[in-house]
Amino acid sequence: MPANRVAVISSTQTELRGNWSGAQHIDLIAAVVTDVFKGTGLTLDDVDFVFDSGSDVLDGRSISNCGFLGAMGAHHKEESRIEEDGLWAALYGVTKIASGAANVGLIIAYSKPSESDPNAFYKSQVEPFYQRPVGFDHRAASGIQAQRYLADHGVSEKQLAGLVSNRWASASAGRRVPLDAVPDEREVLASPSVARPLTQLMMSRPTDGAVAILIASEDIARRTAKTPVWITGMGMSGDRHSFATRKAGTLEACEAAATSAFKQAGWSKPTPAVAETSASSAVTELMVLEAIGLARPGKGLDLTGDGKIAVNKSGGSLPADPIMATGLVRLAEASRQLVYPAEYGLKSPTTAIAHGAGGVGMQTHCVFTLEV
Amino acid sequence: MLSIPDTYPIDLKPFPSDLSMPYTLTPGRAAGIFLAEIGNKRIVGSRFRDGGTVAVPAQDFCPKTGDSEFDLVEAPSTGTLNAFTETEAGIIGLIRIDGSDFDFPHQIVDAGYDDLTVGDRVEAVWGEGAGESILGIKGFKPSPKAPVGSIKPLENPAKQVEVVPYRMDLHYEHAFGPYYGRLFDEIKTNRRIMGVRTSNGEGALLPPRELDDITHKKTGTWVEVKQTGTVRACSVIHLQFIGQKQPPPYIYAEIILDGALTRLIHNISGIDMSRAKELVKPGTRVRAVWRDGEPTGSLADISHFEVIGGEDERS
Repeated sequence: MPANRVAVISSTQTELRGNWSGAQHIDLIAAVVTDVFKGTGLTLDDVDFVFDSGSDVLDGRSISNCGFLGAMGAHHKEESRIEEDGLWAALYGVTKIASGAANVGLIIAYSKPSESDPNAFYKSQVEPFYQRPVGFDHRAASGIQAQRYLADHGVSEKQLAGLVSNRWASASAGRRVPLDAVPDEREVLASPSVARPLTQLMMSRPTDGAVAILIASEDIARRTAKTPVWITGMGMSGDRHSFATRKAGTLEACEAAATSAFKQAGWSKPTPAVAETSASSAVTELMVLEAIGLARPGKGLDLTGDGKIAVNKSGGSLPADPIMATGLVRLAEASRQLVYPAEYGLKSPTTAIAHGAGGVGMQTHCVFTLEV
Repeated sequence: MLSIPDTYPIDLKPFPSDLSMPYTLTPGRAAGIFLAEIGNKRIVGSRFRDGGTVAVPAQDFCPKTGDSEFDLVEAPSTGTLNAFTETEAGIIGLIRIDGSDFDFPHQIVDAGYDDLTVGDRVEAVWGEGAGESILGIKGFKPSPKAPVGSIKPLENPAKQVEVVPYRMDLHYEHAFGPYYGRLFDEIKTNRRIMGVRTSNGEGALLPPRELDDITHKKTGTWVEVKQTGTVRACSVIHLQFIGQKQPPPYIYAEIILDGALTRLIHNISGIDMSRAKELVKPGTRVRAVWRDGEPTGSLADISHFEVIGGEDERS
């Protein structure tokens, strides 16, 4: 029996701010869950399940989703929490609808890293006997990835700074990420060193925010959405937990996730019109683009010009990384660019990729292909 | 573009909170013996039987194949620096011990970042009184002339470390948001307990919130609830546990304040604790007792609830 088709029919997000000091998690969640139904004709009564992503460690409470059920509209509904980026929650939801077990799903992801320390969050994921005591963490993994990438491919720190500046400018133009100023190359290079050769501004910037999307089966999608965004392929993969034993200089799990998604979509070559990807640093931004197959190894920077593929028009995760929600924001952004291309200066794109990741040094990856 | 209206100016600072969790971690056989052998200044690895892959430091499973059949081996204290970076924790390198098939991270000592090159020979620097931690090895220092060591069988392995005590401390600064912000501000400045009406206007939700959990519709106007209420559930706590705010015995209670629909968790005291089970039951009427001194803007500003004599709803 062929699987049912599934589409994104609506998406919304709060502003992604460095600090949503005037709002709790439930305030951010309530805002997006209220907003996501607008224009669809659907209400919460039509929703068969609510799947959500967040982190107990970042939230500072155990089983934090239980405290947020009311805001999520999950009262007496099937609700499930995925302790991975929200793109995995979407994958779970799509699978459920594709199987015929449900028709409409509400997918939510949220993040308030401003309330805690993202470095402590990542450190809590590191192996405690051999690695945590010696100071190995997410930053060290990112620095080592950068050292290797720059050495292997002759890319300079100045070029990384240029990429960062470019992404912040895109985010600033998009209005969803309020920024006081866009740093230029010099400012990126001069920001404090975090994990040599990476500076603070070369790392993704943790932000607060929430995102919600509605996914639906084909008949409902055709009746409710202006342009249903069909999810035609999905793939996910996890690399070894121990960063030091992963294959150096590449993101194998990202490649595997992308290969799996493209196979399902029937794409022989990955040539989407739109790509929205996640990264923990300027270097992994390039490594992801290369692992997905949008550029040859070491040539990710070639994608930053006005090429055929619109890469991270939203700015991507460097200027705004709502940890645990970043990948779902990519799905929301990519869907929006397919439905409202003029808003992004795009002609008439019909295909897109959304990518999410998780873990220390980007251990896990999830890739969606989208078509309209 | 959606942004949240800041409906009420928040002048409360974020609520500070610490999670401090004690753990007794179990390292298992491979890491347990590795840690035990640190005291003997021996570096232990695993040689997996299916293919002879060597992992240093020792692992219970082969990182490549998942094989769990292995022999412990004694590894040399020399190796190669395969990558490095510098963070606030110092210089962190990926080291490949001679004879191992995998890298592992450790500190690079006695060298500056700019002195290092990928491929440098390094050797372990042992700490004084090495103990049972990987930090018994202070780190690895450049050692250009270090001879290439080899893997040997591990003779007379030490008894494995069974448990590693550990503590994780996480600090949070929780934002109140517009609804909790007003609730705690009113508690702090006016000793008032404020809820919001449900979406159908019957009774108040406490704590107040923007959306009614059940209907997911906007809640109504603010309403002050009474400082008296009825116990709906309670328990006399004798157990000691981590994170406890007061020594047992004490009474945990879920109280519905008059005018509210939801339960407030607090303590009941001011009674003869030897008669607690008899004096406090579901249905017992109680009243808030405020704490003297500087208000904190938290539920701790209510010291406890006291029993109101003669008002038990069952009598």
